[in-house]
Amino acid sequence: MGSAGTDVQSAEDSAGPTPGDDPEQAIAGNRRLLIAFAAIGVVVLVVGLVVGTRSRTAPSDWAGTVLERPQEKPDLVLTDTSGRPYDLRAETEGVMTLLMFGYTNCPDFCPISLSTLSAAMEDLDLTTGRGLRMVFVTVDPARDTPEALRSYLDRFNVDFVGLTGTPEQVAAAQRAAGVPPAADDPPGEDGDYTVGHATQMIAYQADGTARIVYPFGTRRTDWNRDLPRLLEGERPT
Amino acid sequence: MRWWCAAVDAPWSWVPRPYIGVWILCGALLALYFRSRAVYRRDHPDAPADPKDRRRAVWFVLGTGFLWVASDWPLGALGAGYLSAVHMLQYMLYTLGAAPLLLMGMPEWMLRNLLRHTRLDTAYRLVANPVVAALLFNLVLIATHAPVSVDALRSTQVGSFALDMVWLLSGIILWTPVVSPLPERQARSAPAKLVYLFLAAAVVPMIPGGFIAFSPEPLYGTYELAPRIGPSALEDQQMAGVIMKVGNLPVIWTVMAVIWFRWYERDQADVRRRRDARRVAAARASGERLSTRATRGTATADGPAGAGPAGADPAGTATVTAPGASAPVATAVPSGPDLN
Repeated sequence: MGSAGTDVQSAEDSAGPTPGDDPEQAIAGNRRLLIAFAAIGVVVLVVGLVVGTRSRTAPSDWAGTVLERPQEKPDLVLTDTSGRPYDLRAETEGVMTLLMFGYTNCPDFCPISLSTLSAAMEDLDLTTGRGLRMVFVTVDPARDTPEALRSYLDRFNVDFVGLTGTPEQVAAAQRAAGVPPAADDPPGEDGDYTVGHATQMIAYQADGTARIVYPFGTRRTDWNRDLPRLLEGERPT
Repeated sequence: MRWWCAAVDAPWSWVPRPYIGVWILCGALLALYFRSRAVYRRDHPDAPADPKDRRRAVWFVLGTGFLWVASDWPLGALGAGYLSAVHMLQYMLYTLGAAPLLLMGMPEWMLRNLLRHTRLDTAYRLVANPVVAALLFNLVLIATHAPVSVDALRSTQVGSFALDMVWLLSGIILWTPVVSPLPERQARSAPAKLVYLFLAAAVVPMIPGGFIAFSPEPLYGTYELAPRIGPSALEDQQMAGVIMKVGNLPVIWTVMAVIWFRWYERDQADVRRRRDARRVAAARASGERLSTRATRGTATADGPAGAGPAGADPAGTATVTAPGASAPVATAVPSGPDLN
């Protein structure tokens, strides 16, 4: 044996008896090892069960929240991004419509929700002409001019419809859609402010009735699973 | 103040935000390390100075540095809740940076004492087995990158801390057969280390890496629903997959190259040593022949034949002593066809 072996020997001498010399210590070590392996096994088992359960039950579930009482599409007329009046019921008659309230300076919920939906629509090759319309109503009409709204929505999908109006019209639209009214947060030192608002998307099927809403956190894979079923007229229950 | 990075709903901000738990962990590691060294020196004043001691301290400090960079703002915060690519970069820093450097920085006595006091000798002996180490490392890799694990653990500080520590531990397990301070816990030979590293750290991670890179949908809710910074959720995930798939290769192949070249150098040194030994043996034999011939008065060493008494020393060199002189005046190294 070379010098390395000598070093090992001397180190072992200095460290006292090796685990193999002390049966009690060896048993304790083995017990810890067993516990570690058992813990890893449990983790793997849990992961496997969760993944397996999800994959078995997912196709029959809806990702959104099914409403106990279906809601009719609200009767509201606002202004679209070209400056023309937009009658929601008339413009979207016979077309499945997703309705969302938000604003273009929203730092988190709006861009995430819109980009997730936009990606899913690309996956499903869905456009306005294929029976789905996305309508985004601003809750910050003071800053969201029709131009700003159009520019913002075009980042996600040029077919998304943007609506604005007076503060009173926007508040009435929220009431009509059954969502909590938005509220401006106090402005910061730079005068900038955020707006607290409802983050769900309400899904009105082609018959003009909403039976399900999609809260913030709905993922692309959820949209990919639910949208085709909704478009085919399947009623969430 | 948050003590460890976890996913948050707030938009990303470039305003620095230190995490106290990271600083405490790194500070405690360094304090314990240097205090242990001081105590060991105090208790073993006669222990010979180890020339590698200073280098080991540098490794350990560097390893702690990797741990700090991977865990604290900004990488820690970005990886915990915003970008899966940074999450994967963190994994690389823990397993390929911090873990091997911390292991290389520990003196043999320190690890032996640590294992003895924590009674983990047996466990360490088992995980040092290359097959066990490879299995554990890759099991942790797959389990901790499963979407359900990432989404569940990254949402809380405790979960995020546990994930980071499991990564560090799995890195230490991975590198134990290669750079363990305990020589008997390293793989037995350089070729064994090469095969082990290639299979455990270079080949297997390519499979989950490819799965992540080529997935058509975002797999991790944490990063898909995070306020966006730069790339889309899917682009970010593709980058993460590429990092897992090939990001480790520069480190692994560099280490493998170092092992191979050192092995080659050792092998060449052995060849030289064996050749020298053969030369010495041949010289001895030749010297004995020379001595025999000199006794018969037919010496053929440099110098006039029979000019004086000639002999051979035990090393096999023939010495010629000048007439009338008591000391040798010339030493001739015998040469012959078998020595060249």
